[in-house]
Amino acid sequence: MSHYELLLTHIGTILHLQYLIPLVAGTAIGVIGGALPGVTITMTVIMVLPFTFGLDPLQGLAAMTGVYVGGSAGGSITASLLGIPGTPSAVATTFDGFPMARKGEPGRAVWVGVWSALLGGVLGGICLIELTGPFASIALVFGPWEFFSLFVFALSMVAGLVGKSVTKGLLSGAIGLVVTVVGPDPILGVQRLTMGLNFLEGGLPFLPVLIGVFAFAQLMPDVEQIRPTGQDHASVAPKRMSLQVSMLGTLWEVLSRPFLLVWSTLVGVLIGVLPAIGGSAANIMAYDQAKKFSRRPEKFGTGIPEGIIASESSNNANVAGSLMMIMAFGIPGDAVTAVMMGALTIHGIQPGPLFITQHPGVAYGIYAAYIVALPLMVLVIWLGARFWLRIIMMPKAILIPIVLVLCVIGAYALSNTMNDVYVLALFCVIGYAMVKGRIPLAPLILGVVLGDQIESNLIRALATDPDPWLFFTRPISGGLIAASVISVIFAMWQHSREAKRAAAGPEEEEDTDF
Amino acid sequence: MTRLLTLAGIMLLGAMGGNAFAASYPDRAIKMIVPWAAGGDTDVIYRALAPLLQKHLGQAVVVANVKGASGTVGEREAASAKPDGYTIFAPHDYIHSVYYAGLTDIKYDKAFDPVCLVSATPSVITAGAKTPWKSFKELVEFAKANPGKVKAGASLGSTSQYSLALAAKAAGIKFTYVPYDGTAPRMNALLGGHIDIADSNLTQKGKVDAGLLRFLAIMTEKRNPEMPDVPTLKELGYDVEYAVNRGLMVPKGTPADVKTKLGDACQKATQEPEFAKAMKLQGTEVRYMNAEQYTAFLAKDDKITKDLTKDLGMLKRE
Amino acid sequence: MTLGRDGIAGLICLAISIWLLVLTRGLPPALMVPIGPAVYPRVVIGIMALLSAIMIVNDLLTSRAAAPAAPAASRAEPGARPNYLLVLATFVAFGVYVLLLPYLGFRIATFLFVAVLQVILDRPRSWQRWLLVVAVAFGTTLACHVIFEDYLSVLLPRGDWSGV
Repeated sequence: MSHYELLLTHIGTILHLQYLIPLVAGTAIGVIGGALPGVTITMTVIMVLPFTFGLDPLQGLAAMTGVYVGGSAGGSITASLLGIPGTPSAVATTFDGFPMARKGEPGRAVWVGVWSALLGGVLGGICLIELTGPFASIALVFGPWEFFSLFVFALSMVAGLVGKSVTKGLLSGAIGLVVTVVGPDPILGVQRLTMGLNFLEGGLPFLPVLIGVFAFAQLMPDVEQIRPTGQDHASVAPKRMSLQVSMLGTLWEVLSRPFLLVWSTLVGVLIGVLPAIGGSAANIMAYDQAKKFSRRPEKFGTGIPEGIIASESSNNANVAGSLMMIMAFGIPGDAVTAVMMGALTIHGIQPGPLFITQHPGVAYGIYAAYIVALPLMVLVIWLGARFWLRIIMMPKAILIPIVLVLCVIGAYALSNTMNDVYVLALFCVIGYAMVKGRIPLAPLILGVVLGDQIESNLIRALATDPDPWLFFTRPISGGLIAASVISVIFAMWQHSREAKRAAAGPEEEEDTDF
Repeated sequence: MTRLLTLAGIMLLGAMGGNAFAASYPDRAIKMIVPWAAGGDTDVIYRALAPLLQKHLGQAVVVANVKGASGTVGEREAASAKPDGYTIFAPHDYIHSVYYAGLTDIKYDKAFDPVCLVSATPSVITAGAKTPWKSFKELVEFAKANPGKVKAGASLGSTSQYSLALAAKAAGIKFTYVPYDGTAPRMNALLGGHIDIADSNLTQKGKVDAGLLRFLAIMTEKRNPEMPDVPTLKELGYDVEYAVNRGLMVPKGTPADVKTKLGDACQKATQEPEFAKAMKLQGTEVRYMNAEQYTAFLAKDDKITKDLTKDLGMLKRE
Repeated sequence: MTLGRDGIAGLICLAISIWLLVLTRGLPPALMVPIGPAVYPRVVIGIMALLSAIMIVNDLLTSRAAAPAAPAASRAEPGARPNYLLVLATFVAFGVYVLLLPYLGFRIATFLFVAVLQVILDRPRSWQRWLLVVAVAFGTTLACHVIFEDYLSVLLPRGDWSGV
């Protein structure tokens, strides 16, 4: 019971101005960032990152949690009003949200989305609070062998699940691991592969790498579309739309479908727990499920609330799932949590099995921030209703330079050296090249996050006991290794099946983000 | 608009002017380079010092964590900074071993001028609750009977290994070292029973009182009043002491009057009761030395480290 | 037999991995731990090389079969050819910004970068727009400086030439 007392105490803490201001600011920025087409939640959280350096850990995390929650909901505004997903996690919202808005009910589309996000978030939050502790206690018995195998499993699963080719997914993961090899080795600091370049001597720290890979990979496709005439974002400017609608009516629309809501939430949490897949998969998966279970599947895509509910509740619940994973295992569920994990380590807090027991203040602070962020998100969207359309239309020519400057500050302030900025610039090029080579970015990021840990745990295990078979004979470790092999084989089987099906009807979909 | 531009002009001029007439040091923020990650032992200690230095210098002292490569990235950054007193370096004893083990080309006395010693954190040899040893003597007996069987967690090539190596050398035993960087991961590994012993400090007292860990011996001259039951290695008959010492340095070539000002501020800061209180929480003693004493102290430390590096088979240069 | 996009990507990755493998020569042997600093890098670079090779082979096997279908895959919207010139210009502007940052200092470099990149991306055609460009650049620089240095105590790069 002290569990909930702790939670209540920390909700009280979060409500202090010192934490509430970053949280409100984060939520508002998240909604805006999520709503801006072409700016993803990842991008937004990267932009917020430098601001958190000067704050205390909980203030920084409150801001980031706000961005995460606000962003997931903000994406749905653009998705419904313009038919363009503001972020990849709102793709499925366009399927029914946009038709509904075009039928003259934009307010209904937005608010069904917002209420679903809120309720999905609340249900996800319950899972977060209840399950993180038990998860962490499982992780406590892990020795170096188990951690090694767990990280390998996480990597192999992500590599298999994202993108259209298992080879490319695995290659991306391997590149991520190679990235962590550059610079000092984790044991004695022997310089490796630095080619005598001074700026590589600190290695390739993962935040500059992540910022670099995402900044250009996500911004450049927009630049590509800018026409010399200056008419970028030539999207038909929507006529004046009124978002007036009965709030209670839309809330009831969501609440009257409890089974759909709970099921979509569970899908979201589950996908969030799986490493590095994130919201972009959750909303589509939940939409798909909702359609399968529906009594009127043929109506999906014509502007019915079920589609919006499935998509929005799942992608907000997905946030909870991802948070659970960094807090219990130290494995980020997607790029946003990878950045949050980076922010934690900057403050000297290592997320992992002992995180909750060692830093209960921060852990419960995150729970509390998550819970408080949900109603704030509704409030922000409600108050800002009349501005959203104008903000969505902000010119790219102004947005892009500012985003890039914040990226540079983020990389520099990390350890106060230009080295990290050079690393950032290097990975801007690599990230864009990978997008052009249609190689998914998610496994790379996970590889970079886990690379050092994989090597350290491998060496620790061998230094403790030179017998390499222990990786297979220790039951948890052996099981995880087996699961990695199975997941890759399964992904290969699934992809070959899809390839056969795709040969019949081509359906191309670009996925550059998680 | 014009007003904004004027403001910008003033801002620019002000900043430039500040640089040109640096007679009244310090007239802007001072950067303190801590070569380790935020939140680590070293960082916490210097972060307690920074505001007190600030109080006596009259300018902001901003901690910059320049981490990476066993602290050598920050060392390089500090060594190449302008010797104007606006960059100060906040290292600990690792600066000796990284040079001898060949991780960096920077010899501390060629690159830096010591300013003051600030604190010393005595090492405590700590065992996990799952091990059978109740005392250091039992550990030595076991290690003698089973050479190489005792798994010691340490940051290889850094202070947490040197303390154990020093004790092992005195007792005539050998440990097998397993790489665990940082006190927190080492303590987790001790709790999980993945390693047997590790170097720690008095910050782990809580876990010892709870019976999760065991302090076998402390490497100080006298017993610590906080933990009167823990014997020193000296009284057990091994004439060794070890503590992690932290001080301040500036890049070589910093003007003498700047060094004096820093030294004075450092002395006053370390005398603050607030600092003593913060250090106690870190299992650390305040140990102030002026530039001269600190220089001599570093030279002695350097010699010990060199010999130990040789014993460990890691010596790369003389 | 032509090489598709995957094949080229694979070749680049393969070349990089072979080059990195060469670089792992000369690393010191294991000290105090059972495997030395060269072992793990060789394993992961080896995996990368193997996967690149598989990608090239896959591409060679499929590109022949799918060659006629290639135009359909590029799915170019009418008149929406990617503006690569602009992408290149953005990269160059960013590169120059990063290189000049330690010399000009954050304030001057950022003002110039934000102004120049705005002009590159969308050339202003009236004096009001030029004013907007300058205002945005100035505002960004000032806001960053005030928020980070003054409020959050996050030090930003100082210029070696300019002293600010």
